[in-house]
Amino acid sequence: MIRVSGLDIVFGKGTPLEKQALRGIDFSVPEHEFVSVIGSNGAGKSTLLSAIAGDVLPQAGRIEIGGVDVTRSPTAIRAGKVARVFQDPLAGSCGTLSIEENLALAAARGTKRMLGLAITRNRREMFRQRLTELGLGLEGRLDDQMGLLSGGQRQALALVMATLAGADVLLLDEHTAALDPAMAEFVLDLTQRVVQERKVTTLMVTHSMRQALDHGDRTVMLHEGRIILDVSGHERSNLSVEDLIQMFRDVRGQEIDDDSLLIE
Amino acid sequence: MSEIAFLGAVEIGLVYAFVAIGVFLAFRVLDFPDLTVDGSFPLGAAVAAVMITSGIDPWTGCLAAILAGAVAGLVTAFLNQRFGILHLLASILTMIALFSINLRIMGRPNVALINQQTVLTPFYGLGIPDYYVRPLVIFVLVIIVAFLVARFLASDFGLAMRATGVNAKMARAQGVRTGVHIYVGMALANGLVGLAGALFAQTNGFADVTTGIGTIVVGLAAVIVGETLFRPRTIVLALIGCVVGSVIYRVAIQFALGADAIGLKASDLNLVTAVLVAVALILPRLRGRKATT
Amino acid sequence: MLKYLAAVAAVGFLAIPAKAEDVTVAVTAIVEHPALDAARDGVRDGLADAGYKVGENLTFLYESAQGNPATAAQIARKYVGDGPTVIVPISTPSAQAVVAATKDIPVVFTAVTDPVGAELVKDAAMPGGNVTGVSDLSPLADHLALIKEITPDAKTIGVIFNPGEANSVTLIEKLKEFAGPAGYEVVEASATKTADVQQAARSLVGKVDVIYVPTDNTVVSALEAAVKVAEENGIPLYAGDTDSVPRGAIAAVGFNYYDIGLQTATIVAKVLKGESPGSIPVMQAEGTNLVVNPGAAKKMGVTIPEAVIKRANTVVQ
Repeated sequence: MIRVSGLDIVFGKGTPLEKQALRGIDFSVPEHEFVSVIGSNGAGKSTLLSAIAGDVLPQAGRIEIGGVDVTRSPTAIRAGKVARVFQDPLAGSCGTLSIEENLALAAARGTKRMLGLAITRNRREMFRQRLTELGLGLEGRLDDQMGLLSGGQRQALALVMATLAGADVLLLDEHTAALDPAMAEFVLDLTQRVVQERKVTTLMVTHSMRQALDHGDRTVMLHEGRIILDVSGHERSNLSVEDLIQMFRDVRGQEIDDDSLLIE
Repeated sequence: MSEIAFLGAVEIGLVYAFVAIGVFLAFRVLDFPDLTVDGSFPLGAAVAAVMITSGIDPWTGCLAAILAGAVAGLVTAFLNQRFGILHLLASILTMIALFSINLRIMGRPNVALINQQTVLTPFYGLGIPDYYVRPLVIFVLVIIVAFLVARFLASDFGLAMRATGVNAKMARAQGVRTGVHIYVGMALANGLVGLAGALFAQTNGFADVTTGIGTIVVGLAAVIVGETLFRPRTIVLALIGCVVGSVIYRVAIQFALGADAIGLKASDLNLVTAVLVAVALILPRLRGRKATT
Repeated sequence: MLKYLAAVAAVGFLAIPAKAEDVTVAVTAIVEHPALDAARDGVRDGLADAGYKVGENLTFLYESAQGNPATAAQIARKYVGDGPTVIVPISTPSAQAVVAATKDIPVVFTAVTDPVGAELVKDAAMPGGNVTGVSDLSPLADHLALIKEITPDAKTIGVIFNPGEANSVTLIEKLKEFAGPAGYEVVEASATKTADVQQAARSLVGKVDVIYVPTDNTVVSALEAAVKVAEENGIPLYAGDTDSVPRGAIAAVGFNYYDIGLQTATIVAKVLKGESPGSIPVMQAEGTNLVVNPGAAKKMGVTIPEAVIKRANTVVQ
């Protein structure tokens, strides 16, 4: 579903702040696979997601989604196939629009937006049904402003929005990092459920090794713009967090001093 | 205040309601601080006046004024989107360029329409006094336009435009081509302002290159007064707020003009405007404070 | 009509001097500046001469639109609603706003350069309807003659004006018509706002022999800026209105706006006495008032001929 080859991304090229975020990444994800991505700060996890989404254009390499070369196409064009949930709960929805308006925006993703009414009876019925499934009691608050919801509620809605129009690829960028533990748990469970029900190819960036091992079918570790670990199947199911840290040491041959990698 | 003066203020307020709706679209919906309106208002007046004096149907003149205003909005959007010039600066560039362009269009600074056929001519002489006819006709036009704008903003396309203004990153992630919406929104906003200019010229008998001065302040004042009164949570209420705000602004000015008794003079008008807008801005905070204590 | 008859009857029976009926004259100008304010004062004083005195039998209203045509339109509606006896709009946009707002109340405009072009009246000689007034088209031929007399060697005339002012554009067109036959070349410098006047004046330095400032609201408002440039560079600066001479211009011939106000008042008085505005021809501003400023001339490196000083109505010291 996703095929990334020879991907190079440099920020601030030619300036004193030049930073090579990704170095020749080769990486592919078959249809319906759920991949968790870990790595220390600045490893290039979010850059990889942004590159697939289209927010960052690469200096070299090629990105294919569903067999189509999208290397040069802008975010809005790719959005028909790619849905995203951001780390910041405020970033994924419009605070001053109502819940149903936000949902309607997401429902029209990938279609040509014309002058038909955005909120029709059919759509509202569908929204109500999807929100009922969520179990947060939001189905009765379709008219409320998005800004009135808590971060967790917004993140849960962002997940619903991501899958409303049916996407081939779901990109989750540390989408539980800004939430309190209980809400993070809820959103993670919801993620698991949604991914299974919708059978959508998923890339989930996370800071937590535990999360990375507990969720999904495959785990990829990035360091300094390179993939240094790629495990799945048996090998992965027998892994513990300690093993993961040990493997990281082996591959890199150095101590890990980044605490964030160890956060549970 | 006499009946004629009151209806005159209402009429001018209704003409400027189109400006208020345009300013609302740019500032509030698109979050694009746009000063182009100071140029697109006289542009609309100029285009309509020149067409009407050369014998073209006044409704066609209004349509051309809308198109001319829309092009002005597109130029500002182009400067901003294509070359990354800050919106405020891009709109100022268009605005000052329009001063020269308006002079070119009219060939002189002032074109008179006093004895010309206007969109209002067919409605005069129906037995209703002129000073009723003008606000009535403009009111009907305002209602039609406000309805169309509300319907537009409720469409998939319009909703995407609103999202562009609130959260462009999110909009793009939802497949919204934000650039397209900024172009369309700016064209629409300035098209409405152009229509206001065309109607102003026809109801007041002249198009003058100086008519644009302060249009943006008047438009913003109307939007803010409307927001304070209605605290709108829906687009329809916000648009009604624009219209009512614009009328209230003009009635307040009219009141200030007739307020010699309380010591106000015409030269105090700018002060009245500033106080009106400041009060409109401060009022919600005072109310909020009361609610929390 | 009844009131009129009653007044006539009273005069007949009591044999006291005729006391004019109480009247209201509503004046409005597009902006406040010395020339337009002088016109307003002229109207008021002229009406006093004609027997209409503020505080006795005359209510004299005045509003300025602060340079904003939308406000001018609102002032027009206010006046029409108040129903004064006569409305006196000063300047083109104010006059257009008033004329568009009423077909009944008598209107006597003033300080409008081209009343026919502005569609205030169809025919200056026979206005018809409820509108007449005074045109302030400058006596340009007289101005050129004065320039020739004081500075005979001048060949090029620089004019500073706001291309956004209807009156000025008409003036410049007419000036060019007169200048060619008189052997002058006209160089234009535009200032769209008062802050641009100084730079516009500078742009003429080295290109022109004299500067002429027409009756332009923008430029006259910032006349001192132009005078400063003229003095620094020794370019004689002439004005189109006599009010500008005490402010630093060398000389001007023609009307001052106070006189135009007085002239306007004579028409207003006729209308107040019952004449129909439509039957009163539009008047041309008159006055061959010559004002000179030898001190200013000296600063600009010019000596005004003794003959001119002798002929002048006013010599600014």
